[in-house]
Amino acid sequence: MNRIHQSEKALLVGDNPFHNISHLSQERTRARGDNLADSSYAADLILTSVANGANGFMFSVSEKTLSILSAINKKGEIGRLNLYPIVPYAYEYVKLATQTGGIPGLAKRFSKQVVMSGNFRAVVNGIRGVVGMNPISLVKTYVAYEMSRIKSSAGKRAKIESIILHEIVTDMALALNLEWFFKGYIDFVSKTKVVPGFNTCNFAYLVNKLEEWEIDLSDVFIVAPFNSVGFQMNPSRTACEEALKGLKKPTLIAISILAAGYLKPEEAVRYIAGLPNVKGVAVGVSKEKHAVESFRLLNEALDKNL
Amino acid sequence: MTDKLRIAVVGMGKMGIVHSCILNVIPDVELTALCEKSSLTRRILKKMFQNVTIVDDVTKMVDFNLDAVYVTTPILSHYGVIKAICKENVARNLFVEKTLVANPEEAKELCQLTSNSEGVNMVGYLRRFYVTFKKAKDLLLEEAVGRVSSFNAFAYSSDFLGLESDVTAARGGVLRDLGCHAVDLALWFFGDLKVYSAQPISENDKIDDSVNFKVKNQNGLDGEFSVSWRAEGYRMPEVGFLIVGSKGTIKVNDDKVELALQNGRKTAWYRHDLEDNVPFWLALPEYHREDDIFVKSVRNSVTVEPNFVSSSKVDEIISQVEKKAGEQNTPK
Repeated sequence: MNRIHQSEKALLVGDNPFHNISHLSQERTRARGDNLADSSYAADLILTSVANGANGFMFSVSEKTLSILSAINKKGEIGRLNLYPIVPYAYEYVKLATQTGGIPGLAKRFSKQVVMSGNFRAVVNGIRGVVGMNPISLVKTYVAYEMSRIKSSAGKRAKIESIILHEIVTDMALALNLEWFFKGYIDFVSKTKVVPGFNTCNFAYLVNKLEEWEIDLSDVFIVAPFNSVGFQMNPSRTACEEALKGLKKPTLIAISILAAGYLKPEEAVRYIAGLPNVKGVAVGVSKEKHAVESFRLLNEALDKNL
Repeated sequence: MTDKLRIAVVGMGKMGIVHSCILNVIPDVELTALCEKSSLTRRILKKMFQNVTIVDDVTKMVDFNLDAVYVTTPILSHYGVIKAICKENVARNLFVEKTLVANPEEAKELCQLTSNSEGVNMVGYLRRFYVTFKKAKDLLLEEAVGRVSSFNAFAYSSDFLGLESDVTAARGGVLRDLGCHAVDLALWFFGDLKVYSAQPISENDKIDDSVNFKVKNQNGLDGEFSVSWRAEGYRMPEVGFLIVGSKGTIKVNDDKVELALQNGRKTAWYRHDLEDNVPFWLALPEYHREDDIFVKSVRNSVTVEPNFVSSSKVDEIISQVEKKAGEQNTPK
């Protein structure tokens, strides 16, 4: 079932704080302390957010987030969340490529992981992909592998709402004008009854290209930064807002709404609430107080507008 | 030159892919060819880069009528690749990822070689294109902190924390891989510097992995560098400076700039305050800024910074650090 047409708003907990990421300042992440490294603490923060209006979790698939999902599953609460995994976890793969000597080393390591996972479908697609050098088969291999990792941690009751391509993959494919890649990804993911998603730092460029390729934007999610100071809104805040206005249906899941902590929550929410075609938002929380305040505020302010 | 600049990229690792993608969206560029040794990578590239010729050797690009070539191979191969490009007249405009080469002798030879070609050349010291470091440079030009007397610089990452040294050897050592950014910025900020001491950060370290060193300039400016890719808490590589002047200090890193004056006035600028957006963002906004400046310089045949001559000074400083560390480790 494709759930994109449901009227429910997506109020998502983001995972950046759990990976110790701050786009405002790396210095700040080092000062945060170790609480967030504890999966059980992170799981409690997510459940507190859910108690205050959140209904999903957007995360990069990593050992860290899988252990958080496992902790939520053990508490018997996984059914309260819609899951929005972002793949691949670019940081992990770039670091591996650095340590293993580039693409050939990385390919060797990844092939071994897929075979060790025992996921038959992934292995078959992987062989097809390598033999025929077919990028879509390789993407299918990868997505099947990540889905199996999520399900083995989150359990059978886990609801995967969307699988979102990481910005580095989306934006590379965009730069290379790979219409067949976008169409192939949408076709494959849609068949798994999950909404295909694209994370991008080039929202306006992506929307224009997808329209040029006559891709139905009501069948996908686009995850992109939107905030009142234009932080990471390329090429400009105005161009992104214009592209958003032109959408036929709510497709945007806004991220970086606080501009990485630069804005006050009230100011950030006021801006988002005034935008058209917003399907949802994702916000990272690092303290219980943030979880309560952020999602109460979002729930109240966005309820009427989404 | 034809209407669009014809550009090729040699070496399709991480940097090669990023530059190729960005060049593909710059309107007056035609990404013409890619050169890559690995046959597996070439097979993938053929699927991903449509209408681009893929070859396995730079000399096979001789007849491609190229305006410029990007060299993004491992550092140790830069010298051989650049020499081959110049010798075979593959293109006269060159961009090479940092560092220029692996030693000052090679750098000198390449500067000589390219000085005769009338082409534009540039080295990819990305941090010059961070809005925060650009702001710090502007503050120094305005003499916002008066006469600068000292600075402390760091370049840290956790990339190889807990890994054996043999894993890191192929990357040419932490100074060339990461520390070079801090050295390049220091040369940009303060002019010529000379190393007078260098040692590993701890007794168990090798200078290939972590090193402290001190520099001076002819006006008495003192500088200290600390460089490591085994630092804890640096999920992403980070470079920063604390600059002390007669009227105050400037603290700058990848994310923000802070100006603190002795009269008590303090000002901070984050990326958000410094017009960080670009026409196309891939991985970091700085890649687009860097490529855009190189392309415009080639188009207008004007020199650009950092070029081979200014970047050869980074290789000179690294060589001085290696020499000083060697002297200090030699039993007397």
